[in-house]
Amino acid sequence: MPLTKTSQKFNASINAFTIGTGDKAVTMGGENVLPFYTFDAPIENAPKIGAEISDLGMDKNVPGIRDYYAGAEDFTELARRASAIPGVDFIAFALDAADPNGEDRSVEECVEECKQVAEGTDLPIVIIGSKGIEKNETLFDKVADALSGKNVLLMSAREENYKTIAASAGLAYSQKIGAESAVDINLAKQLNVIISQMGVKPQSIAMNVGAASAGYGFEYVVSTMERVKMAALQQNDNMLQMPIVTPVADEVWNVKEAVVSEEDIPEWGPQEERGIQMEVVTASACLASGSNAVILRHPASIAAVSKMIRELI
Amino acid sequence: MSKFIIIGERIHCISPVIREAMNSMDPGPILKRAKQQLDAGADYLDVNIGPAESNGETLMKWAVQLLQSEFDNVPLSLDTANRKAIEAGISVYNRSKGKPIVNSADAGDRIENIDLAAANDAIAIALCSKAGIPADNDERMMYCQELLERGMTLGMSEEDLWFDPLFLVIKGMQDKQNDVLEAIRMFTEMGLRTTGGLSNVSNGMPKTVRPIIDSAMIAMAMANGLSSAIINPCDRRMIETIKSCDIIKDNCLYADSFLEI
Repeated sequence: MPLTKTSQKFNASINAFTIGTGDKAVTMGGENVLPFYTFDAPIENAPKIGAEISDLGMDKNVPGIRDYYAGAEDFTELARRASAIPGVDFIAFALDAADPNGEDRSVEECVEECKQVAEGTDLPIVIIGSKGIEKNETLFDKVADALSGKNVLLMSAREENYKTIAASAGLAYSQKIGAESAVDINLAKQLNVIISQMGVKPQSIAMNVGAASAGYGFEYVVSTMERVKMAALQQNDNMLQMPIVTPVADEVWNVKEAVVSEEDIPEWGPQEERGIQMEVVTASACLASGSNAVILRHPASIAAVSKMIRELI
Repeated sequence: MSKFIIIGERIHCISPVIREAMNSMDPGPILKRAKQQLDAGADYLDVNIGPAESNGETLMKWAVQLLQSEFDNVPLSLDTANRKAIEAGISVYNRSKGKPIVNSADAGDRIENIDLAAANDAIAIALCSKAGIPADNDERMMYCQELLERGMTLGMSEEDLWFDPLFLVIKGMQDKQNDVLEAIRMFTEMGLRTTGGLSNVSNGMPKTVRPIIDSAMIAMAMANGLSSAIINPCDRRMIETIKSCDIIKDNCLYADSFLEI
Protein backbone atom coordinates (compact mmCIF):
# COMPACT_ATOMS: atom_id res chain seq x y z
CA MET A 1 0.00 0.00 0.00
CA PRO A 2 1.41 3.42 -0.84
CA LEU A 3 2.16 5.69 2.06
CA THR A 4 0.08 8.85 2.11
CA LYS A 5 1.88 11.56 3.98
CA THR A 6 -0.42 13.80 5.93
CA SER A 7 0.93 17.11 7.07
CA GLN A 8 0.42 18.02 10.72
CA LYS A 9 0.46 21.71 10.07
CA PHE A 10 -1.79 23.76 12.32
CA ASN A 11 -4.10 26.66 11.55
CA ALA A 12 -2.56 28.57 14.43
CA SER A 13 1.01 29.70 14.91
CA ILE A 14 3.46 30.83 17.55
CA ASN A 15 3.87 34.61 17.60
CA ALA A 16 6.83 35.97 15.71
CA PHE A 17 8.84 37.80 18.36
CA THR A 18 11.69 40.17 17.61
CA ILE A 19 14.40 41.49 19.90
CA GLY A 20 17.16 43.92 19.05
CA THR A 21 17.19 46.40 16.20
CA GLY A 22 18.53 46.79 12.70
CA ASP A 23 20.50 44.10 10.85
CA LYS A 24 21.25 42.11 13.96
CA ALA A 25 17.65 41.97 15.21
CA VAL A 26 16.56 38.42 15.92
CA THR A 27 13.11 36.98 15.28
CA MET A 28 11.98 33.77 16.89
CA GLY A 29 8.67 31.92 16.71
CA GLY A 30 6.25 32.26 13.82
CA GLU A 31 6.00 28.52 13.15
CA ASN A 32 2.74 26.58 12.75
CA VAL A 33 4.23 23.14 13.42
CA LEU A 34 5.78 21.28 16.34
CA PRO A 35 9.48 21.85 17.09
CA PHE A 36 11.72 20.82 14.16
CA TYR A 37 8.75 19.38 12.22
CA THR A 38 9.99 20.97 9.02
CA PHE A 39 8.52 18.05 7.07
CA ASP A 40 5.06 19.38 7.95
CA ALA A 41 5.69 23.02 7.04
CA PRO A 42 8.77 25.20 6.76
CA ILE A 43 10.05 26.78 9.96
CA GLU A 44 11.11 30.25 8.96
CA ASN A 45 12.79 31.26 12.20
CA ALA A 46 15.13 28.59 13.48
CA PRO A 47 15.53 28.39 17.28
CA LYS A 48 18.00 30.92 18.64
CA ILE A 49 20.93 30.76 21.04
CA GLY A 50 21.89 33.35 23.60
CA ALA A 51 25.33 33.49 25.17
CA GLU A 52 25.11 34.11 28.90
CA ILE A 53 27.52 36.43 30.67
CA SER A 54 27.28 37.35 34.34
CA ASP A 55 28.08 40.50 36.23
CA LEU A 56 29.81 38.29 38.80
CA GLY A 57 32.38 37.51 36.12
CA MET A 58 32.75 34.24 34.27
CA ASP A 59 33.24 30.81 35.85
CA LYS A 60 36.91 30.40 36.77
CA ASN A 61 36.61 26.66 37.40
CA VAL A 62 35.80 25.74 33.84
CA PRO A 63 38.94 26.13 31.70
CA GLY A 64 37.05 26.53 28.41
CA ILE A 65 35.01 29.42 29.78
CA ARG A 66 37.85 30.94 31.83
CA ASP A 67 40.27 30.92 28.93
CA TYR A 68 37.79 32.20 26.39
CA TYR A 69 37.03 35.25 28.49
CA ALA A 70 40.57 35.63 29.92
CA GLY A 71 41.70 39.22 30.07
CA ALA A 72 38.25 40.69 29.61
CA GLU A 73 38.43 43.51 32.13
CA ASP A 74 35.01 45.05 31.77
CA PHE A 75 31.49 44.19 30.67
CA THR A 76 32.00 45.78 27.29
CA GLU A 77 34.80 43.33 26.58
CA LEU A 78 32.80 40.40 28.01
CA ALA A 79 29.93 41.26 25.69
CA ARG A 80 32.31 41.62 22.74
CA ARG A 81 33.80 38.18 23.38
CA ALA A 82 30.40 36.56 23.85
CA SER A 83 29.15 38.09 20.61
CA ALA A 84 32.12 36.63 18.76
CA ILE A 85 31.25 33.02 19.60
CA PRO A 86 30.10 31.38 16.35
CA GLY A 87 26.39 30.51 16.48
CA VAL A 88 25.39 33.18 19.00
CA ASP A 89 22.24 35.13 18.16
CA PHE A 90 21.90 37.31 21.26
CA ILE A 91 23.61 38.23 24.51
CA ALA A 92 22.01 37.30 27.82
CA PHE A 93 23.39 39.43 30.61
CA ALA A 94 22.66 38.07 34.09
CA LEU A 95 22.55 40.64 36.89
CA ASP A 96 23.54 38.04 39.47
CA ALA A 97 25.40 40.53 41.64
CA ALA A 98 22.25 42.53 42.28
CA ASP A 99 20.87 39.73 44.48
CA PRO A 100 19.98 41.31 47.86
CA ASN A 101 21.07 38.08 49.55
CA GLY A 102 24.35 38.11 47.66
CA GLU A 103 26.47 41.08 46.72
CA ASP A 104 23.46 43.39 46.69
CA ARG A 105 25.03 45.59 44.07
CA SER A 106 23.17 48.87 43.64
CA VAL A 107 20.67 49.51 40.89
CA GLU A 108 22.83 52.38 39.58
CA GLU A 109 25.85 50.11 39.23
CA CYS A 110 23.77 47.50 37.45
CA VAL A 111 22.45 50.06 35.01
CA GLU A 112 26.03 51.13 34.32
CA GLU A 113 26.99 47.49 33.65
CA CYS A 114 24.10 47.10 31.22
CA LYS A 115 25.23 50.18 29.33
CA GLN A 116 28.73 48.73 29.10
CA VAL A 117 27.34 45.49 27.71
CA ALA A 118 25.36 47.45 25.12
CA GLU A 119 28.57 49.15 24.02
CA GLY A 120 30.24 45.82 23.46
CA THR A 121 27.67 44.26 21.17
CA ASP A 122 25.28 45.01 18.36
CA LEU A 123 23.45 41.73 18.95
CA PRO A 124 20.09 41.86 20.74
CA ILE A 125 20.32 41.93 24.52
CA VAL A 126 18.39 39.89 27.05
CA ILE A 127 18.65 40.98 30.67
CA ILE A 128 18.29 38.26 33.25
CA GLY A 129 17.27 39.81 36.57
CA SER A 130 18.61 39.02 39.99
CA LYS A 131 17.18 36.50 42.42
CA GLY A 132 15.61 39.44 44.27
CA ILE A 133 12.08 39.49 42.93
CA GLU A 134 11.25 42.84 44.51
CA LYS A 135 14.53 44.42 43.56
CA ASN A 136 13.99 43.46 39.93
CA GLU A 137 11.07 45.88 39.81
CA THR A 138 13.31 48.94 40.21
CA LEU A 139 16.18 47.27 38.43
CA PHE A 140 14.17 46.57 35.29
CA ASP A 141 12.61 50.01 35.36
CA LYS A 142 16.02 51.69 35.29
CA VAL A 143 17.58 49.24 32.86
CA ALA A 144 14.61 49.54 30.49
CA ASP A 145 15.10 53.29 30.55
CA ALA A 146 18.88 53.12 30.08
CA LEU A 147 18.59 50.69 27.14
CA SER A 148 15.65 52.53 25.67
CA GLY A 149 15.27 52.00 21.92
CA LYS A 150 17.34 48.80 21.92
CA ASN A 151 14.31 46.51 22.06
CA VAL A 152 15.70 44.32 24.82
CA LEU A 153 14.00 41.38 26.52
CA LEU A 154 13.75 41.59 30.30
CA MET A 155 13.66 38.22 32.03
CA SER A 156 11.60 37.91 34.02
CA ALA A 157 8.26 39.17 35.19
CA ARG A 158 6.68 36.87 37.75
CA GLU A 159 3.35 36.69 39.48
CA GLU A 160 4.72 38.82 42.35
CA ASN A 161 6.18 41.66 40.31
CA TYR A 162 4.62 41.64 36.85
CA LYS A 163 2.58 44.79 37.42
CA THR A 164 5.45 47.22 37.80
CA ILE A 165 7.57 45.47 35.19
CA ALA A 166 4.78 45.43 32.61
CA ALA A 167 3.91 49.06 33.33
CA SER A 168 7.44 50.39 33.12
CA ALA A 169 9.51 48.12 30.87
CA GLY A 170 6.58 46.97 28.76
CA LEU A 171 4.44 50.06 28.41
CA ALA A 172 6.58 53.09 29.27
CA TYR A 173 9.77 51.92 27.52
CA SER A 174 8.32 49.49 24.92
CA GLN A 175 10.80 46.77 25.77
CA LYS A 176 9.97 43.06 25.58
CA ILE A 177 8.83 41.15 28.66
CA GLY A 178 9.62 37.59 29.66
CA ALA A 179 6.86 36.01 31.73
CA GLU A 180 8.35 33.53 34.16
CA SER A 181 6.61 30.62 35.82
CA ALA A 182 8.04 27.45 37.28
CA VAL A 183 6.70 24.40 35.42
CA ASP A 184 3.09 25.36 36.06
CA ILE A 185 1.06 25.48 32.84
CA ASN A 186 -1.90 27.25 34.39
CA LEU A 187 0.27 29.96 35.85
CA ALA A 188 2.16 30.27 32.56
CA LYS A 189 -1.10 31.09 30.83
CA GLN A 190 -2.40 33.26 33.66
CA LEU A 191 0.71 35.45 33.56
CA ASN A 192 0.28 36.04 29.85
CA VAL A 193 -3.35 36.95 30.43
CA ILE A 194 -2.70 39.44 33.22
CA ILE A 195 0.30 41.02 31.52
CA SER A 196 -1.80 41.43 28.35
CA GLN A 197 -4.65 42.85 30.39
CA MET A 198 -2.30 45.61 31.48
CA GLY A 199 -1.98 46.64 27.86
CA VAL A 200 1.23 44.88 26.82
CA LYS A 201 0.74 43.36 23.37
CA PRO A 202 0.90 39.55 23.30
CA GLN A 203 3.54 39.96 20.58
CA SER A 204 5.77 41.71 23.11
CA ILE A 205 5.76 38.82 25.55
CA ALA A 206 7.98 35.76 25.66
CA MET A 207 7.67 32.96 28.18
CA ASN A 208 10.10 31.24 30.46
CA VAL A 209 7.96 28.32 31.53
CA GLY A 210 10.66 26.98 33.80
CA ALA A 211 13.71 24.87 33.27
CA ALA A 212 15.58 22.06 34.92
CA SER A 213 18.78 20.29 34.14
CA ALA A 214 18.37 16.95 32.41
CA GLY A 215 17.87 14.37 35.12
CA TYR A 216 16.53 16.89 37.63
CA GLY A 217 12.79 16.68 37.08
CA PHE A 218 13.23 17.47 33.42
CA GLU A 219 10.17 15.39 32.49
CA TYR A 220 8.00 18.10 34.07
CA VAL A 221 9.63 20.68 31.84
CA VAL A 222 8.92 18.52 28.80
CA SER A 223 5.27 17.98 29.66
CA THR A 224 4.79 21.67 30.41
CA MET A 225 6.29 22.75 27.11
CA GLU A 226 4.40 20.09 25.22
CA ARG A 227 1.06 21.14 26.73
CA VAL A 228 1.80 24.80 26.03
CA LYS A 229 2.64 24.11 22.37
CA MET A 230 -0.41 21.92 21.84
CA ALA A 231 -2.69 24.56 23.36
CA ALA A 232 -1.07 27.22 21.20
CA LEU A 233 -1.21 25.28 17.95
CA GLN A 234 -4.00 22.75 18.20
CA GLN A 235 -6.40 24.77 20.35
CA ASN A 236 -5.35 28.13 18.91
CA ASP A 237 -4.95 29.55 22.41
CA ASN A 238 -3.61 33.05 21.83
CA MET A 239 -2.65 33.34 25.47
CA LEU A 240 -0.05 30.62 24.95
CA GLN A 241 1.30 31.53 21.53
CA MET A 242 4.24 33.42 22.96
CA PRO A 243 7.62 31.89 22.12
CA ILE A 244 9.52 30.14 24.91
CA VAL A 245 12.99 31.33 25.96
CA THR A 246 14.77 28.96 28.32
CA PRO A 247 17.80 29.88 30.43
CA VAL A 248 19.59 26.56 30.42
CA ALA A 249 23.07 27.61 31.59
CA ASP A 250 22.09 28.62 35.10
CA GLU A 251 20.44 25.23 35.67
CA VAL A 252 23.11 22.93 34.31
CA TRP A 253 26.24 24.61 35.62
CA ASN A 254 24.98 24.21 39.19
CA VAL A 255 24.24 20.48 39.26
CA LYS A 256 26.73 18.03 40.67
CA GLU A 257 27.59 16.52 37.30
CA ALA A 258 28.93 19.92 36.30
CA VAL A 259 30.55 21.03 39.54
CA VAL A 260 32.12 17.97 41.19
CA SER A 261 35.83 17.85 40.38
CA GLU A 262 37.55 14.92 38.77
CA GLU A 263 39.70 14.46 41.90
CA ASP A 264 36.58 13.87 43.97
CA ILE A 265 34.96 11.36 41.61
CA PRO A 266 37.62 10.13 39.16
CA GLU A 267 35.30 7.58 37.51
CA TRP A 268 33.07 10.40 36.18
CA GLY A 269 35.87 11.73 34.01
CA PRO A 270 36.80 15.37 33.30
CA GLN A 271 34.52 17.92 34.94
CA GLU A 272 34.37 20.35 32.04
CA GLU A 273 33.37 17.64 29.61
CA ARG A 274 30.49 16.66 31.88
CA GLY A 275 29.28 20.23 32.16
CA ILE A 276 29.29 20.69 28.42
CA GLN A 277 27.42 17.44 27.96
CA MET A 278 24.79 18.45 30.49
CA GLU A 279 24.38 21.79 28.78
CA VAL A 280 24.11 20.32 25.29
CA VAL A 281 21.76 17.52 26.31
CA THR A 282 19.48 19.84 28.29
CA ALA A 283 19.42 22.49 25.59
CA SER A 284 18.64 20.06 22.78
CA ALA A 285 15.89 18.47 24.85
CA CYS A 286 14.40 21.92 25.57
CA LEU A 287 14.49 22.80 21.88
CA ALA A 288 12.87 19.50 20.94
CA SER A 289 10.15 20.11 23.53
CA GLY A 290 9.31 23.62 22.48
CA SER A 291 11.88 26.27 23.45
CA ASN A 292 12.28 28.85 20.71
CA ALA A 293 15.55 30.00 22.25
CA VAL A 294 18.01 28.68 24.82
CA ILE A 295 20.57 30.58 26.85
CA LEU A 296 23.92 28.80 27.15
CA ARG A 297 27.32 29.52 28.68
CA HIS A 298 30.13 27.34 27.31
CA PRO A 299 31.44 28.15 23.80
CA ALA A 300 31.64 24.42 23.05
CA SER A 301 27.97 23.90 23.99
CA ILE A 302 26.97 26.83 21.81
CA ALA A 303 28.91 25.32 18.90
CA ALA A 304 27.27 21.91 19.34
CA VAL A 305 23.71 23.19 19.75
CA SER A 306 23.97 25.64 16.88
CA LYS A 307 25.26 22.83 14.66
CA MET A 308 22.31 20.69 15.65
CA ILE A 309 19.86 23.48 14.81
CA ARG A 310 21.53 24.13 11.46
CA GLU A 311 21.39 20.50 10.48
CA LEU A 312 17.77 20.02 11.48
CA ILE A 313 16.31 23.18 9.97
CA MET B 1 -10.72 18.57 21.21
CA SER B 2 -10.97 22.11 20.01
CA LYS B 3 -12.84 24.86 21.76
CA PHE B 4 -16.59 25.14 21.56
CA ILE B 5 -17.67 27.42 18.72
CA ILE B 6 -20.14 30.14 19.57
CA ILE B 7 -22.27 31.43 16.72
CA GLY B 8 -23.89 34.71 17.76
CA GLU B 9 -27.56 34.81 16.80
CA ARG B 10 -28.40 38.46 17.38
CA ILE B 11 -28.20 39.79 13.84
CA HIS B 12 -31.64 38.52 13.00
CA CYS B 13 -34.33 40.23 10.98
CA ILE B 14 -36.92 39.16 13.51
CA SER B 15 -35.62 41.97 15.70
CA PRO B 16 -37.38 45.20 14.70
CA VAL B 17 -34.19 47.25 15.01
CA ILE B 18 -32.26 44.91 12.76
CA ARG B 19 -35.11 44.53 10.29
CA GLU B 20 -35.31 48.28 9.94
CA ALA B 21 -31.53 48.54 9.56
CA MET B 22 -31.60 45.87 6.85
CA ASN B 23 -34.45 47.59 5.02
CA SER B 24 -32.67 50.89 4.95
CA MET B 25 -29.15 49.43 4.77
CA ASP B 26 -28.18 51.38 7.84
CA PRO B 27 -24.89 49.99 9.20
CA GLY B 28 -25.20 51.44 12.73
CA PRO B 29 -27.48 48.98 14.52
CA ILE B 30 -25.95 45.95 12.79
CA LEU B 31 -22.39 46.91 13.66
CA LYS B 32 -23.43 47.67 17.21
CA ARG B 33 -24.92 44.22 17.71
CA ALA B 34 -22.00 42.59 16.01
CA LYS B 35 -19.55 44.31 18.33
CA GLN B 36 -21.56 43.41 21.44
CA GLN B 37 -21.53 39.77 20.43
CA LEU B 38 -17.84 39.66 19.51
CA ASP B 39 -16.88 41.40 22.75
CA ALA B 40 -18.97 38.86 24.63
CA GLY B 41 -17.12 35.94 23.03
CA ALA B 42 -18.81 35.03 19.74
CA ASP B 43 -16.58 33.17 17.26
CA TYR B 44 -18.96 33.35 14.30
CA LEU B 45 -21.79 35.78 13.65
CA ASP B 46 -25.02 34.55 12.15
CA VAL B 47 -26.52 36.92 9.59
CA ASN B 48 -30.20 36.22 9.23
CA ILE B 49 -31.76 38.35 6.54
CA GLY B 50 -35.07 36.45 6.52
CA PRO B 51 -36.57 35.19 3.24
CA ALA B 52 -35.37 38.38 1.47
CA GLU B 53 -36.98 37.38 -1.79
CA SER B 54 -36.60 40.63 -3.64
CA ASN B 55 -33.22 42.03 -2.65
CA GLY B 56 -31.55 39.09 -0.91
CA GLU B 57 -28.42 39.07 -3.04
CA THR B 58 -27.69 42.74 -2.64
CA LEU B 59 -28.54 42.67 1.04
CA MET B 60 -26.38 39.65 1.88
CA LYS B 61 -23.39 41.02 -0.05
CA TRP B 62 -23.77 44.31 1.74
CA ALA B 63 -24.01 42.65 5.17
CA VAL B 64 -21.01 40.35 4.57
CA GLN B 65 -18.79 43.18 3.38
CA LEU B 66 -19.97 45.50 6.11
CA LEU B 67 -19.24 43.05 8.94
CA GLN B 68 -16.01 41.63 7.54
CA SER B 69 -14.50 45.01 6.78
CA GLU B 70 -15.36 46.38 10.20
CA PHE B 71 -14.37 43.32 12.24
CA ASP B 72 -11.19 41.90 10.70
CA ASN B 73 -12.87 39.36 8.42
CA VAL B 74 -14.99 37.86 11.17
CA PRO B 75 -16.32 34.48 10.02
CA LEU B 76 -20.03 34.45 9.28
CA SER B 77 -22.96 32.10 9.08
CA LEU B 78 -25.24 33.07 6.20
CA ASP B 79 -28.79 32.46 7.20
CA THR B 80 -31.65 32.79 4.73
CA ALA B 81 -34.05 30.69 2.76
CA ASN B 82 -32.90 32.55 -0.35
CA ARG B 83 -30.21 30.34 -1.87
CA LYS B 84 -29.05 32.94 -4.36
CA ALA B 85 -28.50 35.34 -1.49
CA ILE B 86 -26.22 32.84 0.26
CA GLU B 87 -24.24 32.36 -2.94
CA ALA B 88 -23.98 36.10 -3.40
CA GLY B 89 -22.76 36.44 0.18
CA ILE B 90 -20.10 33.77 -0.33
CA SER B 91 -18.94 35.45 -3.54
CA VAL B 92 -17.70 38.45 -1.53
CA TYR B 93 -16.74 36.52 1.61
CA ASN B 94 -13.15 36.60 2.91
CA ARG B 95 -12.27 33.22 4.44
CA SER B 96 -9.01 34.15 6.16
CA LYS B 97 -10.62 33.71 9.60
CA GLY B 98 -12.79 30.72 8.74
CA LYS B 99 -15.01 29.23 6.06
CA PRO B 100 -18.52 30.61 5.62
CA ILE B 101 -21.36 28.59 7.12
CA VAL B 102 -24.47 27.87 5.09
CA ASN B 103 -27.36 28.03 7.54
CA SER B 104 -28.98 25.66 6.84
CA ALA B 105 -29.65 22.47 4.92
CA ASP B 106 -32.14 19.79 5.93
CA ALA B 107 -33.22 16.45 4.57
CA GLY B 108 -36.28 18.02 2.94
CA ASP B 109 -36.73 21.08 0.74
CA ARG B 110 -33.42 22.54 1.74
CA ILE B 111 -31.23 19.54 0.95
CA GLU B 112 -29.73 21.38 -2.00
CA ASN B 113 -28.04 23.71 0.42
CA ILE B 114 -25.59 20.84 0.93
CA ASP B 115 -24.76 21.07 -2.77
CA LEU B 116 -24.37 24.80 -2.40
CA ALA B 117 -21.93 24.38 0.51
CA ALA B 118 -20.01 21.68 -1.38
CA ALA B 119 -19.71 23.79 -4.50
CA ASN B 120 -18.44 26.77 -2.50
CA ASP B 121 -16.13 25.01 -0.02
CA ALA B 122 -18.34 26.14 2.84
CA ILE B 123 -19.52 24.57 6.06
CA ALA B 124 -23.16 23.43 6.09
CA ILE B 125 -25.40 23.21 9.10
CA ALA B 126 -27.23 19.97 8.48
CA LEU B 127 -30.56 19.96 10.24
CA CYS B 128 -31.69 16.38 10.90
CA SER B 129 -35.30 16.88 9.99
CA LYS B 130 -37.44 16.76 6.90
CA ALA B 131 -40.89 18.26 7.21
CA GLY B 132 -41.45 19.07 10.85
CA ILE B 133 -39.91 17.53 13.92
CA PRO B 134 -38.33 14.07 13.76
CA ALA B 135 -40.40 11.59 15.73
CA ASP B 136 -37.44 9.81 17.29
CA ASN B 137 -33.72 9.26 16.97
CA ASP B 138 -34.12 6.55 14.34
CA GLU B 139 -35.56 9.21 12.12
CA ARG B 140 -32.86 11.73 13.09
CA MET B 141 -30.11 9.25 12.28
CA MET B 142 -31.70 8.42 8.95
CA TYR B 143 -31.61 12.09 7.96
CA CYS B 144 -28.11 12.39 9.29
CA GLN B 145 -26.96 9.54 7.04
CA GLU B 146 -28.75 11.03 4.08
CA LEU B 147 -27.16 14.45 4.57
CA LEU B 148 -23.73 12.99 5.31
CA GLU B 149 -23.76 10.80 2.22
CA ARG B 150 -24.86 13.64 0.01
CA GLY B 151 -22.12 15.90 1.30
CA MET B 152 -19.39 13.24 1.08
CA THR B 153 -20.47 12.24 -2.43
CA LEU B 154 -19.99 15.86 -3.42
CA GLY B 155 -16.52 15.81 -1.95
CA MET B 156 -17.20 17.60 1.33
CA SER B 157 -15.10 16.80 4.36
CA GLU B 158 -16.99 15.39 7.37
CA GLU B 159 -15.68 18.31 9.38
CA ASP B 160 -17.64 20.73 7.26
CA LEU B 161 -21.01 19.21 8.03
CA TRP B 162 -22.28 20.40 11.39
CA PHE B 163 -25.25 18.31 12.44
CA ASP B 164 -28.15 19.99 14.16
CA PRO B 165 -30.29 17.59 16.21
CA LEU B 166 -33.05 20.22 16.32
CA PHE B 167 -33.37 21.53 19.85
CA LEU B 168 -36.98 21.39 21.01
CA VAL B 169 -38.94 23.62 23.30
CA ILE B 170 -39.28 22.23 26.81
CA LYS B 171 -42.72 23.68 27.30
CA GLY B 172 -44.65 21.16 25.28
CA MET B 173 -41.87 18.72 24.46
CA GLN B 174 -40.25 18.03 27.77
CA ASP B 175 -40.30 14.31 27.11
CA LYS B 176 -38.16 14.75 23.97
CA GLN B 177 -35.16 16.44 25.60
CA ASN B 178 -33.35 13.20 26.40
CA ASP B 179 -33.66 12.21 22.77
CA VAL B 180 -31.90 15.38 21.69
CA LEU B 181 -29.03 14.76 24.11
CA GLU B 182 -28.78 11.17 22.95
CA ALA B 183 -28.72 12.27 19.31
CA ILE B 184 -25.81 14.62 20.07
CA ARG B 185 -23.96 11.74 21.67
CA MET B 186 -24.59 9.50 18.66
CA PHE B 187 -23.35 12.15 16.20
CA THR B 188 -20.30 12.73 18.37
CA GLU B 189 -19.52 9.04 18.57
CA MET B 190 -19.63 8.94 14.77
CA GLY B 191 -16.91 11.59 14.85
CA LEU B 192 -19.24 14.31 13.59
CA ARG B 193 -19.49 17.92 14.63
CA THR B 194 -22.70 19.34 15.99
CA THR B 195 -24.49 22.65 16.44
CA GLY B 196 -28.00 24.01 16.83
CA GLY B 197 -30.28 26.79 17.95
CA LEU B 198 -30.04 25.95 21.58
CA SER B 199 -32.11 28.68 23.17
CA ASN B 200 -35.19 27.20 21.55
CA VAL B 201 -35.39 24.94 24.61
CA SER B 202 -36.44 27.81 26.86
CA ASN B 203 -38.90 29.41 24.49
CA GLY B 204 -41.96 30.76 26.26
CA MET B 205 -40.36 30.68 29.70
CA PRO B 206 -40.07 33.78 31.90
CA LYS B 207 -37.10 36.01 31.12
CA THR B 208 -35.54 35.28 34.49
CA VAL B 209 -35.64 31.54 33.92
CA ARG B 210 -34.39 31.34 30.34
CA PRO B 211 -30.66 31.85 30.98
CA ILE B 212 -30.75 29.22 33.71
CA ILE B 213 -32.41 26.58 31.57
CA ASP B 214 -30.26 27.47 28.53
CA SER B 215 -27.09 27.16 30.59
CA ALA B 216 -28.11 23.82 32.05
CA MET B 217 -28.98 22.56 28.59
CA ILE B 218 -25.72 23.68 27.06
CA ALA B 219 -23.72 22.05 29.84
CA MET B 220 -25.58 18.77 29.36
CA ALA B 221 -25.30 19.02 25.59
CA MET B 222 -21.57 19.71 25.80
CA ALA B 223 -21.16 16.75 28.10
CA ASN B 224 -22.69 14.71 25.30
CA GLY B 225 -20.31 16.21 22.75
CA LEU B 226 -22.00 19.32 21.34
CA SER B 227 -19.24 21.22 19.55
CA SER B 228 -20.99 24.48 18.67
CA ALA B 229 -24.27 26.34 19.15
CA ILE B 230 -26.14 29.29 17.77
CA ILE B 231 -26.82 31.36 20.85
CA ASN B 232 -27.01 34.82 22.32
CA PRO B 233 -23.43 35.46 23.46
CA CYS B 234 -24.58 38.42 25.52
CA ASP B 235 -26.19 35.96 27.94
CA ARG B 236 -23.45 36.04 30.52
CA ARG B 237 -24.51 32.94 32.40
CA MET B 238 -24.45 30.97 29.16
CA ILE B 239 -20.98 32.20 28.19
CA GLU B 240 -19.61 31.45 31.64
CA THR B 241 -21.09 27.97 31.44
CA ILE B 242 -19.57 27.33 28.01
CA LYS B 243 -16.15 28.56 29.13
CA SER B 244 -16.33 26.40 32.25
CA CYS B 245 -17.36 23.35 30.23
CA ASP B 246 -14.48 24.01 27.81
CA ILE B 247 -12.14 23.86 30.80
CA ILE B 248 -13.67 20.68 32.21
CA LYS B 249 -13.56 19.00 28.80
CA ASP B 250 -9.90 20.09 28.40
CA ASN B 251 -10.76 22.01 25.26
CA CYS B 252 -8.94 24.98 26.68
CA LEU B 253 -6.14 25.27 29.21
CA TYR B 254 -7.20 26.61 32.59
CA ALA B 255 -5.92 29.94 33.94
CA ASP B 256 -7.40 31.81 36.91
CA SER B 257 -8.69 34.55 34.61
CA PHE B 258 -10.29 32.14 32.13
CA LEU B 259 -13.68 33.84 32.34
CA GLU B 260 -12.16 37.14 31.22
CA ILE B 261 -10.67 35.85 27.98
